[in-house]
Amino acid sequence: MIVLGIETSTSQTSVALGDENGIVASASVTGRTRQDEVIPVLEHLLRWSGLELASVSGVTVGLGPGLFTGLRVGIEAGKSLAQVLHVPIVGIPSLDALAFGVRHTRRLIGAVIDARRGEVFYAFYRSAPGGLMREGEHRVADPEHLAADLQARADEVLLAGNGAILYRRELEGVGSRVEFASPASAFPEAASLVELTVPRFIREEHDRPYDIEPIYLRKSDAEIAWDQRARGASA
Amino acid sequence: MQIELRAPAPEDTKGIGRTLADLLRAGDAAALTGELGAGKTTFVQGVALGLGFEGHVVSPTFTLVREYRARLTLVHVDVYRLERMQDVIDLGLDDALGEGDSVVFVEWGDAVEGLLPPGHLVIELTVPGAGEERRLVLRGSGEPWATRWERLEQMTEPWVVAA
Repeated sequence: MIVLGIETSTSQTSVALGDENGIVASASVTGRTRQDEVIPVLEHLLRWSGLELASVSGVTVGLGPGLFTGLRVGIEAGKSLAQVLHVPIVGIPSLDALAFGVRHTRRLIGAVIDARRGEVFYAFYRSAPGGLMREGEHRVADPEHLAADLQARADEVLLAGNGAILYRRELEGVGSRVEFASPASAFPEAASLVELTVPRFIREEHDRPYDIEPIYLRKSDAEIAWDQRARGASA
Repeated sequence: MQIELRAPAPEDTKGIGRTLADLLRAGDAAALTGELGAGKTTFVQGVALGLGFEGHVVSPTFTLVREYRARLTLVHVDVYRLERMQDVIDLGLDDALGEGDSVVFVEWGDAVEGLLPPGHLVIELTVPGAGEERRLVLRGSGEPWATRWERLEQMTEPWVVAA
């Protein structure tokens, strides 16, 4: 059973194919958003690995929180492929995938993604047999708030993610309890999504495609004050 | 920081946009305001031209966002049909501004100014009479524009409204 993973919630776009024996093929590119290249990259990985698209028997997508444009494209690509191939789909929070990449530690894991506008998306995790346990909710806040959150905990912490790298100076202020993961694990990887979800596909614990939606942490209920539009229309 | 300009014909509106393009830097954002037909899209066509984009630039009223890749990537947005701030956030302007090579021009952007970066530009277009003439007011805010303002004043001199 081959699982296809698609992760587009950050400035890195990542695609992977794998099964219970490991990752068969994966590719990740960072930089200008490349979500429109998800399908070409998938085609390349299939050609490279000699796998047929028809051998894909499950699709997993990163749900964010993250950059909206990328998320939207990646999730829709995953849903469309699942629908066309008649295979099940599983959505995984992208911060989970990021933390999974650094799970071999006794420290508390802080997964921290750059949310732009001077803020970060973050969540805390602890390594557990066979995977990870999230402690608390996904949050969006400025780095000072995260630093205060770290200050309030007595734990030794390992911070991973491009948000931790970007705001290293602010977060280092917390002191020696905080350690930073290698830049090699700065982004959630599609390979992590595949590894995380293979057991779920085997146990047939799928999501309903309709329920697969990006995780939003920034919500605004405000209406646009449209007096200008009324003026324009009457002109 | 404010510049008042007179554009006797659509080519002038386009010309001002084209002139502004030379001063644009990645991460710049501008809100265009003005009634329907005031020349917001014409202005952005000039910006695209100035950035070196050769193709056709049309109003994004129905597609909401269009992107043109040139010296910088010009992200042309129209929020006219949107009702909620969340719809604007969902367009991913922050994503675009963080890309490192994009500038964002938002038609009807004055209604959603709070979502633009603090140091942005406002371009107000008005129709003084029944003819083709348009008045343009450029307003800059913050450090990003303070450092370029004098240069912008010099470059837009040909269209300046006599005091």
